[in-house]
Amino acid sequence: MSRRPRASGYFRTGYAQDLKLVETRTERWSLSAFLMALLAFPFFASPFQLDLANQVFLASIGALALMLLTGYAGQISLGHAGLLAAGAFTAGILFKEMNAPVWVTLPAATIAGALLGVVFGLPSLRLRGLYLAVSTLALHFLVVYLGGEYEARRGFSTGIVIDAPKLGGWTISGGRTWYFILGAFAGATLLLCLNLLRSGTGRAWAAIHAKETVAEALGIGVAAHKLLAFVISSALTALAGALFAYYRGFVSVEAFSLFLTIQYVAMIIIGGMGSLLGAILGAVFVTLFPYAIEAAIGALPGAQRYAGSLFAVNYAAFGVVMILFLVLEPLGLVGVWKRIQTYFLLWPFKHRPMPGSRR
Amino acid sequence: MLAAIYALIACGYVLVYRVSRVLNLAHGELMMLGAYALMLTAAQFTTYWPAAIAAAVGLSLLTGVLVYLFLMRKMTGEMVLAAVLTTVALGILLRGVMVLVWSAQQQYPAQALGVANTSIALPGGARISFFSALLILTTLLVYGALLSFLRFGRWGIRMRAAGQSPLLAAQRGINLHAVYALAWGLSTLTGALAGILIALDSGLDQTMAIIGLKAFPAALVGGLDSLVGALAGSLIVASAEVLLIHYVDPLLSEVVPFLVLIAMLVVRPWGLFGTREELDRV
Amino acid sequence: MSEPLLSVDKLEVVYQRAITAVQGITLSAQQGQIVGILGTNGAGKTTLLRAISGFHGTDDARVTEGTIRFKGRRIENIEPHRIARSGIALVPEREKVFPNLTVAENLLVPAAPGLVLAERKRQEAQVLQFFPKLEELHARTAGLLSGGERQMLAIAAALVAKPELLLVDELSLGLAPVVVEDLAARLVQIRRELGITVLLVEQSAAVALEIADYSYVLENGRIVLDGDRARLTNHPDIQEFYLGQSSGKRRSYRDVKQYRRSRRWYG
Ligand SMILES: Nc1ncnc2c1ncn2[C@@H]1O[C@H](COP(=O)(O)OP(=O)(O)O)[C@@H](O)[C@H]1O
Ligand SMILES: [Mg+2]
Repeated sequence: MSRRPRASGYFRTGYAQDLKLVETRTERWSLSAFLMALLAFPFFASPFQLDLANQVFLASIGALALMLLTGYAGQISLGHAGLLAAGAFTAGILFKEMNAPVWVTLPAATIAGALLGVVFGLPSLRLRGLYLAVSTLALHFLVVYLGGEYEARRGFSTGIVIDAPKLGGWTISGGRTWYFILGAFAGATLLLCLNLLRSGTGRAWAAIHAKETVAEALGIGVAAHKLLAFVISSALTALAGALFAYYRGFVSVEAFSLFLTIQYVAMIIIGGMGSLLGAILGAVFVTLFPYAIEAAIGALPGAQRYAGSLFAVNYAAFGVVMILFLVLEPLGLVGVWKRIQTYFLLWPFKHRPMPGSRR
Repeated sequence: MLAAIYALIACGYVLVYRVSRVLNLAHGELMMLGAYALMLTAAQFTTYWPAAIAAAVGLSLLTGVLVYLFLMRKMTGEMVLAAVLTTVALGILLRGVMVLVWSAQQQYPAQALGVANTSIALPGGARISFFSALLILTTLLVYGALLSFLRFGRWGIRMRAAGQSPLLAAQRGINLHAVYALAWGLSTLTGALAGILIALDSGLDQTMAIIGLKAFPAALVGGLDSLVGALAGSLIVASAEVLLIHYVDPLLSEVVPFLVLIAMLVVRPWGLFGTREELDRV
Repeated sequence: MSEPLLSVDKLEVVYQRAITAVQGITLSAQQGQIVGILGTNGAGKTTLLRAISGFHGTDDARVTEGTIRFKGRRIENIEPHRIARSGIALVPEREKVFPNLTVAENLLVPAAPGLVLAERKRQEAQVLQFFPKLEELHARTAGLLSGGERQMLAIAAALVAKPELLLVDELSLGLAPVVVEDLAARLVQIRRELGITVLLVEQSAAVALEIADYSYVLENGRIVLDGDRARLTNHPDIQEFYLGQSSGKRRSYRDVKQYRRSRRWYG
């Protein structure tokens, strides 16, 4: 992710160096240390902590997918919960109706997501900005309605129960197993995104984001690349939805409300627009936030009084945090991080010298 | 009836959008807040219900202005998406707070005020409740007032000008903050009127915000920057909803407005009466 | 001389707290003068006008040093609508009219506190005298006007609020020479009949020098040259770089660059 030169200078001397994901030795060390910590985590964590980590992984996949679409390709979507629902329901329905195994349902969910991506993306060929957001919102309602209809028609009024997935003779269950599986999926998604963004596709998205008409004039297939952004993002999202369904062992439309979409959008905003790291930070933040609030309220005196309205407190606090980020730190957590970094890099100076500002 | 509800709510979306190009997704919640404000004022003016309504509406106007001054003003010049999300966040916040303060239970401000919701016989045998009639009347009045205000009043023209090019408007001596605050205030006021009348007619609980959200496709179908459009859009969406619920499937209620919206966006994305140029300009 | 209507002193303007666009500009405009500001693209002309007419939040620009006085009152860094109400009107470079309003509505927009309706109507009629064509077009949507008509409308809209100082940014931008000549003549007429002071920003020295009483030349955010019409038209640099009349001595590009750099410094 460190695609920008260090403060001390720009040392890349060839294209091969420019293409490397990991550049300096310190970076390599810290990255390996972080990976080790990730691998070791499940052996020390409590089941509750494991569950949190798993939720973070799931959220990361979805947030990365949304970041690709909104943060990089510049296409606003408010249909994220609908896509998650589509993935979850594809898996659920295939399981219920045909007893399909997991190695069928996951790819099927991904493909369903990709197809839906085309549907969600079609309006983007004509619409922009708010209007696009609204059309995806409309599609969200449609998908959720269809899911609800299925539940009602087939008599699963409370939701679909899915058995733990079996691969060969091996049943996937238990927090630790899920931790590694979901972690692998999240890692793979991150790598996929990193590489996509370094490719011509990523550059085309950046161009479209900046100015569509100019991108078109530069010979970039705007329509195709927009659709591609929707397809990839939706496929990943639907995959996350299907994984979610298996992880919870349960699918119900209730889980895919508009609030879920808002949470995902909040992730990329709070994390920091246009940054993959931001998507992950945002996913961590938004996922853990309600638990943090719960803990905080539990610690307050007179906790009993609020226990009943915990969900309302959560809502209100979430709104406040979102507003604070939007108003005070539009660059999100990544912005905060960068500022701290710059502060120490430049210390004791306050500002980076502006190139060419003074002779 | 449904059309009148939608229309009264939709004009709030249009007002804010037209002037500041921001889509106020907290409109549903602000409208609900107006209805709850009635619960407050009802306790004060138990004897005379129009006074309670007037006080609640006044409070809402103030709320709208304050929301602009303390929140949305900070967002001028930011990305549109960020501004819209701020309204979303505001909506979430308001919803949480409202549950905390007034609980999620259904409430009946009409009882609190001691007004009977008598039904009135219409010519032709149909009956309509008193507050429904009042709501339809209010909608017509509000639209009449807003339309003439925007079309002929100098302030109306300035509001339109500020919506098109804020910078130039400021350079022509228009106080943008005043214009924006006015738009937010009026928008919240009309929303609150809708919320109050619905609450008086059929009670008040957390689902009211959903009605607000459903009115939004109505605004879009008509064209987000056109009041006449909002009226027409509301008629279309409401009749589609009533017909489909009646003949096809009651579960569809929440989806219909959005179905109409999708159809509209495919055919004529800028809405029935909206302006086209802003959608696609080089 | 009496106190100038507008005086700018050692003005410095910084964009986004980082980019200095105008550095130490000092200039003044007397009541009833037409003052020209010359300079190439990016010289800081628009920035100067925006500093005088007030920055908008989205510009993220500030006057960091120096003062701007209008009728003796300091006006730097206050909101544009307050400046506009105090009697300064701007004809901007690009977005100059409200495209979705009609011509007549465009003329209704400007706020003019202190003008009673009758007086305003009179002002409007007087302004329309300068641009009779607008009268025919009054019901037309402004976005559909031609460049020249749009410029007329912009000037007219700026004048209906009865300003004392008119700022015009790039009168000739994108317009045919005949149209520019016509507009320039109108400006002179307007100045004569309304007694308004005009600050005219131009890239085209020919236009500005023809009608301006006094002109300043801006380069890289600094004033490098100033003087009345006679001095500037006869100045060798102006002749060479702005009027395109080569003196035949300096030929190579490198010499020119060298020369320009040396000039910049004694500004
Ligand atoms: N909004 C802005 N943000 C940052 N820099 C700006 C902005 N507007 C102008 N500039 C810079 O200020 C300098 C002067 O610009 P400007 O005043 O528009 O020049 P002119 O009008 O003389 O062509 C240019 O270098 C330009 O890049
Ligand atoms: Mg300029």
